Amino acid sequence: MNHGHTPLLSVSALSKRYPGVVALNGVDLTADAGEVHALVGANGAGKSTLMNLLSGAQSPSGGEIRIAGQSMQFAGPSAAQEQGIATVYQEFSLVPQLSVSRNIYLGREPKGALGLIDGRALRTQTIALLERFGLKLDPDAEVSTLSVAEQQLVEIARALSFEGRILILDEPTAVLSLAEQENLFAIIRQLRRDGMLILYVSHYLKEVLAIADQVTVLRDGEKIATRLTKGLTVDALVETMTGASGAFDKAAAPRTMRDEPPYLVSYQADTGTSTLTLAAGEIVGVAGLVGSGRTTFAKALTGNPLPTAIADIRRAGESFRFASPRAAMREGFVYITEDRKRDGIFTELDIVANATASALNRLGRGPLRDVRREKAAASDMLTRLRLVASSLGAPIGKLSGGNQQKVLIGRALLTEPRVLVCDEPTRGIDVGAKAEIHEILRDLAASGVAILVVSSETEELLALAHRIVVMHERCFVAEMPVEEADDMRILLAASGGAEVMEKNNGN
Amino acid sequence: MALARGCARLDLESTGVWLLLAGAVLAAAVTIPTFRDPANLVNVLRQSSVLGILAIGQTFVIAAGMLDLSIGMLTGLVVVLACWLLEADPSIAYTLAVAAMMILLGASVGLVNGTLVNRLKLHPLILTFGMLSILQGLIFTFTDRSVGSASPLLQSIANDSLWGIPLSTILLAVVLVLSHLAFTRTRFGYHLVAAGGNPESARRAGINVAAIRLACFVISGAFAGLAGLLLAGRLGTGYPLAGSGLELDAIVAVVLGGTALAGGRGSVVRSIAGVLALAIISNVLNLLGVSAFVQMFVKGLIVVVAILVNQPRRENP
Repeated sequence: MNHGHTPLLSVSALSKRYPGVVALNGVDLTADAGEVHALVGANGAGKSTLMNLLSGAQSPSGGEIRIAGQSMQFAGPSAAQEQGIATVYQEFSLVPQLSVSRNIYLGREPKGALGLIDGRALRTQTIALLERFGLKLDPDAEVSTLSVAEQQLVEIARALSFEGRILILDEPTAVLSLAEQENLFAIIRQLRRDGMLILYVSHYLKEVLAIADQVTVLRDGEKIATRLTKGLTVDALVETMTGASGAFDKAAAPRTMRDEPPYLVSYQADTGTSTLTLAAGEIVGVAGLVGSGRTTFAKALTGNPLPTAIADIRRAGESFRFASPRAAMREGFVYITEDRKRDGIFTELDIVANATASALNRLGRGPLRDVRREKAAASDMLTRLRLVASSLGAPIGKLSGGNQQKVLIGRALLTEPRVLVCDEPTRGIDVGAKAEIHEILRDLAASGVAILVVSSETEELLALAHRIVVMHERCFVAEMPVEEADDMRILLAASGGAEVMEKNNGN
Repeated sequence: MALARGCARLDLESTGVWLLLAGAVLAAAVTIPTFRDPANLVNVLRQSSVLGILAIGQTFVIAAGMLDLSIGMLTGLVVVLACWLLEADPSIAYTLAVAAMMILLGASVGLVNGTLVNRLKLHPLILTFGMLSILQGLIFTFTDRSVGSASPLLQSIANDSLWGIPLSTILLAVVLVLSHLAFTRTRFGYHLVAAGGNPESARRAGINVAAIRLACFVISGAFAGLAGLLLAGRLGTGYPLAGSGLELDAIVAVVLGGTALAGGRGSVVRSIAGVLALAIISNVLNLLGVSAFVQMFVKGLIVVVAILVNQPRRENP
């Protein structure tokens, strides 16, 4: 990054306009070989657009991309690849039935006699590539048999096989466990040493600070700042992203004590039985690594049990074991899904219908609907949740992720729940809406609802919960009041008490 | 694709069938004088009532994300059984008893369909195709030629008019109004489109998806029973092939009406518009003397275009 030297990647006044929308507006960016450069921003800030322009998936409306001083115009992703920019997207594009080596060189297989694929050459080539970058993969394994982390390595190997100089990684750790993440970071550091430029797009700010040398913050399609990560904090980064401080309230709201007896939950998993209490007015955070069984527990608690995941609930002489979400809902146990598209929203239906889906029997007379009352109830609830929408008659698919989530929370609240189970309540939601949803959950707890929050983001749990339980191998292994909880304690418990690898920035 | 996208912008899903219907009526009225003859129009209405009732039943099933292929043969079975039973005693009282029995029979077949779909987790297409075959087998085991005769009451309902409006059309209108209210004004109607649009979301939202599915098949079956009685009255005798192919015509009408084949959306009123459009097109082709085979070809084209317009499309974020 010294003066007089041409940077590897230099972007100037880059813009992308769609009819009615400016997705990216005059962005300048410089990054050099041997650097990990992160791109961060709230949803809709323009990260994906910038990434798509650089990878050739879209063409800019204005501005210029220069690689090693040369102006580039990409006709498509393959043109960008030829110029040395390879991209690993969040969603993989592998052929599951083919082997690792076939996937890496798909469409570029070495040909032998009669134009057939030369299997031996392909294998040698793959082994050489994997060894060069220290990727531990079996070239002959069928991709469908690999773990997600291994599949990601195949994608990375494929990107590296183009002999590129720039590697774009889109939310690479979203699917990885902690150990797998460390492995990925080791590979990224190795690539940096080899003189590659890595553009790292991520929501996870802590990781960004751990792995990147510089970070560029985008907001509303414009570049706000490029900073060195050294000395930068998550809070400062969030402040830059939102333009406002305090998106995460550190101090959890004080707990409102209630006289009602708590629910005692006894959870039977294949690895054993463990217990948990849930009290009215309390927010309990459930932490754990991917695969620790948090979602399975949350579902079992709300009427989606598996033979190996059964939740027995007792309170004041009553006991329940719910066989369906309907049964759970009758007792006031409501689950808000982590996957809105798959099992949350009804894309075809409007906002009112989505909000009232669980509460029609309360709002109607007998089997008949009372459409006016439904509208009023939905409108009241969504105003309370500060939902911004042009019209409640609009299909829910047109709303942003944060607003869809508010509608789902509204749906749950209209059933007047006693226990609300939120699975990843702010996944894929921008920072502003996130803070609002936290506020909503706090208010609910204050009004006497028992809330269980499952989240992969420790910051979220620390900001929201009164008490944190940690899951490991489908059991609760630790429980701590939030005042005594911190990242390290949670990670330690979540990893089964093993040494937690220190993430560090240097090498 | 560009065509489909352009059409989507006009929201052809909900207006397309009305455009088609208006176009068909206009074109027919302008070009063929005999079409405007009131007797011909009444005839078109009368011909539409059997298919109309079937299409309404099918709309429930399709909006709930399923398909019922058994209704054609079920209608045929009711035609044969009703005529056979009524030959001995064509009295009004007995006719009413038989009518109740036939509707109950249809509902029972629906109950079996729905129960098996829920219990065995079979795809409704496969299951009801099996049911189609079973019913066909039953009919032909029973008889391979026309049997019995419809009672005067059935014949009168199917063929007579009140103040110039066919009784069968009045019956269809009653079924239509009740079904439309069920769709738009009852909890069942809402839960139905929710379960059709995303069954897992619906289950999680506390909706009893299995009960909804069962109810849809029962409705579809009962309506097939009713349609069978009407068809018996029109034919006057128990013709064993009477119902073949009706299930496909009903599906075509429903799709023309913009009900999503994947479920989650539907309107019985538009299904009836689809039925009328099909009936008018077929009437016009008949008046023009077009052969039955060419008519099949035309119907096929209409279906393909309807599905092209109706296919699910990706929303741009």
